[in-house]
Amino acid sequence: MPDPKMKFLVVDDFSTMRRIVRNLLKELGFVNVDEAEDGAIALQKLQAGDFDFVVSDWNMPNMDGLTLLQTIRATPNLKHLPVLMITAEAKKENIIAAAQAGASGYIVKPFTSATLSEKLQKIFEKMDKGA
Amino acid sequence: MSDFAGMEDLLQDFLQEAHDLLSDVDNKLVDLERMPEDKRLLNDIFRGFHTVKGGAGFLNAAELVTLCHLTENLFDRLRNGEMHLTPELMDIIMAATKGVRDMFGELGQGVQPRPAPEDVLGGLRRALEDDAAPAAAPPPVAAAESVAAAAAQEGPDWQALHGAVTGTMTAQPAASTEVIAKVDTAPQSASPPPYGRRGTDKPGAPEKAGAGRRVEERAATRENTIRVDTSRLDQVLNLSGEIGLMKNRLTSLRADILAGKTDSETLHALDQAVSQLDLLVSDLQNSVMKTRMQPIGRLFQKYPRIARDLARQLGKDVELVLSGEETEVDKTMIEDLADPLIHLIRNAVDHGVEDSEERLAAGKPSKSVVRLEARQEGDHIMLIIADDGRGMSAERIRAKAIEKGLISEEEANTLDERQSLHLIFLPGFSTKTQVSDVSGRGVGMDVVKTNIQKLNGNIDIRSEPGKGSVFIISLPLTLAILPVLLVLLGDQPFALPLSLVREILPIEHEKLQEVGGKATLVVRGEILPVVSLAKLLGWPQDQPPEYGVLMQTSERSFILAVDNFAGRDDAVIKSLEDFRPKGVAGVTTLSNGQIVLILDMKELLSDLGQQAGMDGRGSSMRALEFS
Repeated sequence: MPDPKMKFLVVDDFSTMRRIVRNLLKELGFVNVDEAEDGAIALQKLQAGDFDFVVSDWNMPNMDGLTLLQTIRATPNLKHLPVLMITAEAKKENIIAAAQAGASGYIVKPFTSATLSEKLQKIFEKMDKGA
Repeated sequence: MSDFAGMEDLLQDFLQEAHDLLSDVDNKLVDLERMPEDKRLLNDIFRGFHTVKGGAGFLNAAELVTLCHLTENLFDRLRNGEMHLTPELMDIIMAATKGVRDMFGELGQGVQPRPAPEDVLGGLRRALEDDAAPAAAPPPVAAAESVAAAAAQEGPDWQALHGAVTGTMTAQPAASTEVIAKVDTAPQSASPPPYGRRGTDKPGAPEKAGAGRRVEERAATRENTIRVDTSRLDQVLNLSGEIGLMKNRLTSLRADILAGKTDSETLHALDQAVSQLDLLVSDLQNSVMKTRMQPIGRLFQKYPRIARDLARQLGKDVELVLSGEETEVDKTMIEDLADPLIHLIRNAVDHGVEDSEERLAAGKPSKSVVRLEARQEGDHIMLIIADDGRGMSAERIRAKAIEKGLISEEEANTLDERQSLHLIFLPGFSTKTQVSDVSGRGVGMDVVKTNIQKLNGNIDIRSEPGKGSVFIISLPLTLAILPVLLVLLGDQPFALPLSLVREILPIEHEKLQEVGGKATLVVRGEILPVVSLAKLLGWPQDQPPEYGVLMQTSERSFILAVDNFAGRDDAVIKSLEDFRPKGVAGVTTLSNGQIVLILDMKELLSDLGQQAGMDGRGSSMRALEFS
């Protein structure tokens, strides 16, 4: 079981959505959650704090989720971070782009706490294997 | 039909945020008409619909998801250059935006939205199909190949990824719309109950009945919420904590003093504690007031769309330019300003500006500009609605007022330019013989003026024929606390709004002059009428007043003669609910517990105005007799 103290960063420009994701994470036992409004702010927070997990929306102003993901993967001290992409975008091209950029998982809105849990589990398993 | 049991909070949050998003989209749509190829605009609008769709999904608002989804697809094509914006398309988009707004309304009443009108959905689908053919088709083969390529690569857990979407993902290169359709219908059919429904919420008859009641309650209370910056709330919390500490200090000092300890040290400590409490309380008042302050931009943001729709309807080319959106105004005031401002903007677009031909003929640019501006000046908020249209002719307004029987010809002759313009605020006045269905909606400018005055505000007009008209609204920062000057008539104090007071001067009776039968005083070369407060209130004047308060309203300056004055105070206005004597704005309590009437100078002066201004040159206004 993953550490419940794991620190999550939820990135979305829609505060209602951040709250939804935060509450879903809480239901799963993760209470150490911070939020960012767009990719640029997220990067700043990631550089400043010891985050363990990023959950990011795709479509955002300033810096979108894909760019954020690519930047994380290109930054030596961040590239190990698991990044779960959450978006209403269900097009193949997007999913492929996310996969190629190194996303750890991809969820299409709307989703349930069960779906989120399942995706997180998959990522945790993979992290354990990698460790 | 679903209620939103367990999701009320989420629904409220969603609606508030989504409303803002949609207003933003509305404004961007207006901009888009001017710059139809602007990628940034297209992208922003796309994102707006996309975000609303995402949130709507969690609320199970299937119809809202469908509508946003189609609109979003349209903008996806537009931003990728696969389609181009046409006026017909714009109309469909506008209708879709309206559909989304209507659905917000239904959600706000706690009901799941009904499907969007068929012509809107059909229009969107047709627009998407028409253009779908060659350009829009995604490169399916390439995609499938890259799926394989990605899977072969070391790195992402591709299987988990594609499983995350749908089972059909890799099976066939379906048209993208089909994939999306599957994803969209999935939550309603197959998935477990979505977020927000608690396990304990069992659908059943009693539950439904309860939900119905909740819906009604919520519809009534919806407007009573407010969004406050947390740092402001923290400040309030912090200050109330400090006041608590100060109260403890005072309690202990009281115990000391009651025990007979009245040495100078104790009294000094008491003095200090009370003055600190004074500071803290005024800080707290300010902080609490600030929690009610909202940027007026929230109100402004819906106007460009209204102006655009109206201009289009009238066949005019009008741009509404906003400025000072960040100016903060008391929330209740924002709500009460909505109608007057809409009226003034409609007026500017409908009556104020000319159509393109007339403008070109007058040597003006064909596009007219209506400016809506907010700014803070001292403790007042100024709202300015200016157009560059044909302006108003004082002559014509006077003629109209006479024709309508609102004033007599004699009265009209005494009015100056500015007073003539103010005639449009008289009930029953409308410059257009034919009331158009646009501006004329049963409310006239008199209602605008009344509404502004209810907020302790003023409205003024400036106009230059051929150049345009400007409406200037001036409002107090807040309605809760009013700085007042306390004046005395005999022993009785009255409170005057300090904002109107320019200075206080002694009245030297030998300097009083009579001009046209009115008492006047010359102050630094300015001849000002002297008005006795006793006379305004209908009190007997026992002794000649000794002090004059130089007051200035937007209409006139004058000297209010009083017996004495007692200083200034921050009055917390208590309104007189059912009983409101003319000229009294409310009451407040002084530090000694005495109740004081706060005078409404404008109302008191309106009597004066009728006598002095309208009735003709001093015919009925007699000089003040002081001795």
